[in-house]
Amino acid sequence: MPSLKIDHERCTECRMCYIVCREIDINAVYVDLDPLHRIEIDLQKCTYPGCTACLMYCPAEGSIIEVETGRSLVPPPPEVWQEP
Amino acid sequence: MPDLPGRDLARELIEKSRGESRATPVEEMIEAVRKDGLTADAAHRLMGRLWTLERMFYYVYGGWGQGLEINDFPPSVKYLFSKQIVDESTHEMLYLDAQLHKGFVPTQKDAFRHPYGVFTLDSALAYYVFSLRNLATYPHPIRIAALNLGPKILEFGWMEGLSASLADPELKGVFESQAVENRSHINMGRRIVEEFVKEPVEAELCRWACAIAKRDYNRFLGELSAFVLGREAPAPPAPRRQVTD
Repeated sequence: MPSLKIDHERCTECRMCYIVCREIDINAVYVDLDPLHRIEIDLQKCTYPGCTACLMYCPAEGSIIEVETGRSLVPPPPEVWQEP
Repeated sequence: MPDLPGRDLARELIEKSRGESRATPVEEMIEAVRKDGLTADAAHRLMGRLWTLERMFYYVYGGWGQGLEINDFPPSVKYLFSKQIVDESTHEMLYLDAQLHKGFVPTQKDAFRHPYGVFTLDSALAYYVFSLRNLATYPHPIRIAALNLGPKILEFGWMEGLSASLADPELKGVFESQAVENRSHINMGRRIVEEFVKEPVEAELCRWACAIAKRDYNRFLGELSAFVLGREAPAPPAPRRQVTD
C-alpha cells in the first residue's frame, strides 16, 4: 500500500493536517517528541489512499509526498481527490 | 549591549523563582514516581489534567491578545507572544497525543468527555486560569513577567525533575521535549522585562503579579499532585443553574 510522509523543507507547520486527522479520529498525524516538535505521520495508523483528508487541507505545495513514488500530493492530483 | 532599565528586576524575579522551582507540591509526586513508578491510571490523570490546563491557555492568551494594541510595542514583542501561543498549542497537542498513543482514550472526543480531561469550574486549575486571565487588563510586560518569570520557571524545574524520574520513554519525551520552548519563554520574559519595565511602580506591579501567579500555580500543582497520587477525587461538575433577572 502506498504511504505518506511530510517534506519538512516545504511544510509550514500550520497543523491543519493534525487538526483534520484528529477530527475524523484516525489520529495518524502526531507531534514528534524531539525539541523541534515537527509534525509526522504514523504509517501504522494512516489509511491513505483510503483517506486523503490531510491532502485536501494542506496549504503548502509539495509538503506531503507519496513515499513510494516521491511525487507531491499537495495539491492533490485528480486521481487522489476525494470529495469530503 | 545598552544598559537595559529592567535588568536588575528580571534577574531578581528569575533568581527568586529558580530558588522555589524544586520546592513545589509536585516534588511529592516526583518522589512517588521515582519510588514506585507511574501506573497507567496515574499517567492518564497526569496527562489529562495538564492537557486541560494547556487548553485553557487559548482562553488566557485570547484575553491578553486583546490588550495588545498597534504601536504599543515593537513587532518583535508581538512575534514573541505569537510564538509562545504556538508553543503552548504544541504542548496541548503533546498531552493529547500521549493519551491517544497510550490508549487512555480512543478518540479526541473521548478525551474531552473523560473526567480526567474535563474542565471543572470548582478547581484549583480553574482558579489559576482565571488568575492569569485577570492579568489581561495589565500592561503586557507585567503579565509576561508574572507568567514567564514565575510559573514558567517553576514548571521548568519540576518538569526536569519529573522527566528524570520517569521510566516510560514516551512520557519522559513529552516533558523533556518541552524544555527548549519553556527556556525560550523564560528568556523572552527576561528580555521584555529588561527592555520595557522602567518605572518603580511597574517594577512593583511585576513583583506583585509574579507572586500572585506563582501562588495560584502552586495551588494548581498541589491539586495535580494529589489527583495523580489518587488522594483526591476530581471535584464534581458544578450544577447547572438557570439564571434569571
